Amino acid sequence: MSDLLQIDHLVKKFPVSSGISWLAQLRGKTQVPHLLHAVDDVSFEIRKGESIGLVGESGCGKSTLVRLVTRLLDPTEGGIRFEGRQIGLVAAKNFASSPDRATIQMVFQDPTDSLNPRYSAFDTIAEPIRLLGEDRDRQNLPARVHELAAAAGLPQELLARFPHQLSGGQKARVGIARAISLRPKLLILDEPTAALDVSVQAIILHLLADLREQLGMSYLFVSHDLNIVRLLCDRVLVMYLGKIVESGPAEAMFANPLHPYTRALIEAIPQPAGKRAATRISGEPQSPIDPDPNVCRFYGRCPKGERSCHESAPALRPFAGERWVACHFPELHTAIPEKTDDAAAK
Amino acid sequence: MSLIRDDSSPAPLLEVKDLSLEFRTRDGAVHALEDVSFHIDKGEMVGIVGESGSGKSVMCFAVMGILDAAARIASGTANFGGLDLLSAKQADLEEIRGREISMIFQNPRTALNPIRKVGKQIEDVLLRHTTTLRDNLRSRVIECLTQVRIPDPERRYAAYPFELSGGQCQRIMIALALACNPALLIADEPTTGLDVTTQAAIMDLIEDLSASRGMSTLLITHDLGLAAEYCDRIVVMHAGHVVESASTEEIFRAPRHPYTAKLIAATPQGARRLRELTSIAGNLPDLRRSNLPPCRFSERCERLTGRCDKKLVPATVAPAHSVSCWNPL
Repeated sequence: MSDLLQIDHLVKKFPVSSGISWLAQLRGKTQVPHLLHAVDDVSFEIRKGESIGLVGESGCGKSTLVRLVTRLLDPTEGGIRFEGRQIGLVAAKNFASSPDRATIQMVFQDPTDSLNPRYSAFDTIAEPIRLLGEDRDRQNLPARVHELAAAAGLPQELLARFPHQLSGGQKARVGIARAISLRPKLLILDEPTAALDVSVQAIILHLLADLREQLGMSYLFVSHDLNIVRLLCDRVLVMYLGKIVESGPAEAMFANPLHPYTRALIEAIPQPAGKRAATRISGEPQSPIDPDPNVCRFYGRCPKGERSCHESAPALRPFAGERWVACHFPELHTAIPEKTDDAAAK
Repeated sequence: MSLIRDDSSPAPLLEVKDLSLEFRTRDGAVHALEDVSFHIDKGEMVGIVGESGSGKSVMCFAVMGILDAAARIASGTANFGGLDLLSAKQADLEEIRGREISMIFQNPRTALNPIRKVGKQIEDVLLRHTTTLRDNLRSRVIECLTQVRIPDPERRYAAYPFELSGGQCQRIMIALALACNPALLIADEPTTGLDVTTQAAIMDLIEDLSASRGMSTLLITHDLGLAAEYCDRIVVMHAGHVVESASTEEIFRAPRHPYTAKLIAATPQGARRLRELTSIAGNLPDLRRSNLPPCRFSERCERLTGRCDKKLVPATVAPAHSVSCWNPL
């Protein structure tokens, strides 16, 4: 499998107000630029046909990372290579008309809020084709829309309906049909089932798995429901305060998490009585504004925090089985560290 | 804990019997609840589980007496310590709400007053329902905040809801609900929209506080996994009916109603592969229909028999395990 998307030391920092009033500034107080480190030195790659899960708590930078990858935001530093081409340098406002726009598409979190209430299901699905579609699709627009609706499992007779006349599951199908209308190579799914009932969730997850197989797409699946990530993804990235703290194959990671944060996330999944996990992390994450570069971001909430954790921030290190962990004290029950020469290759 | 009690066992804390409720709308009556019965004992945590639209929240609103004006209670009683909550006077209910029965609402951000300091909001409850002296109010509030493990409670006293995270706001809601030591806490989807780690912390907190006060908790959720971890007993609802009720262990080990079994199979918790995850065919029936079948699951059910068009009677299939189905698993 070759790489479809390569993210290379990606950084996004947002300036935040210093809290000094304009009057104080006039009196000579200088503004110290404070920066919120939303995404801090993140590197990963997505291979062709692969499904990657991105997990982490709210506020950890998942959404910012997604908006960088979909080119809705400009990165502060770092590169985004798509099929070998550098797309990180195209300004976000110009990307909408770039031919690459069609190849990276997204399914949004809330199926209600992400549909135009004044567009029928047909128009919603047809809109991207009208704007960016290939000529053959544009000329046979109704046929193509019907084909997409069928692929997403949306009955033809619902195409004339407006969002308020559709159920949650049907709206999710419209959102999926719209996202695949341009035959994307990378589909980004932002909690596509968070607003759905369990009964409908299962149908949509099956649909997504089937579509990936049929159309050969790669998925970047953002979720905080680890159970779903476990079922749908080949590989998982765990993000904490703008950094990737662990990555690796889904099955191995769930069986044996190496980073204490990953362990805490997995143990926070509700378990039937009697199997309750003993460790819980408490408290809230540190502030993402101007974090100390020499302190591990998880320090303070980590059950293992020791002196070295606030003297130097751990870097991602490779371990056996394609696993990477950023921790001074990874939970090595079975994993054996690989030679550090490989670290340079990453 | 058992559904059929002999006379010697103590009366349950809350017993809802044959509650039927409808909403009047322009398109006719919505039959939101029909013959809903369940009970909760002292110190018990009971989970009410079902899809959205199954009537879980409406049932709680009926018990709390905070129904929409369009709602009409057709029949039923809700016995709480000898008082029927459904026919009680507003003045009596106002004394009970907040003091004896408290509720945690789904979205803490919209349930809190956005322009009042959170400490003041807790003071309001204490002033209304307790005899706390004004001089001691502040210290009582700080005590409440400490109990729900809010860091730096002295400073948080003066915070507005927008300054707090979602998990912190939910802790404030819990502090509000528990300020007067209620006997019954109704938690309506208390962790929807929160992270898994925060969810675990909030649920652990509710469980600890319930246990230490001997308080009963009614947990409304659509997450079977969550109910499985925390509840002693689970009541499954579908389209305004209680379809099954049993201990948590029993409901997962031997579900008898086809809907319960499907719900368990659709929960990603237990599945090892995506293929094992099954969905439930069809949707909830339109509750505005006048020709609703006696079993509201019958149109989605694979185990339909000739008897299914007869009126359902909850059957006790095992001690403390009742199911409303003519052809149980």
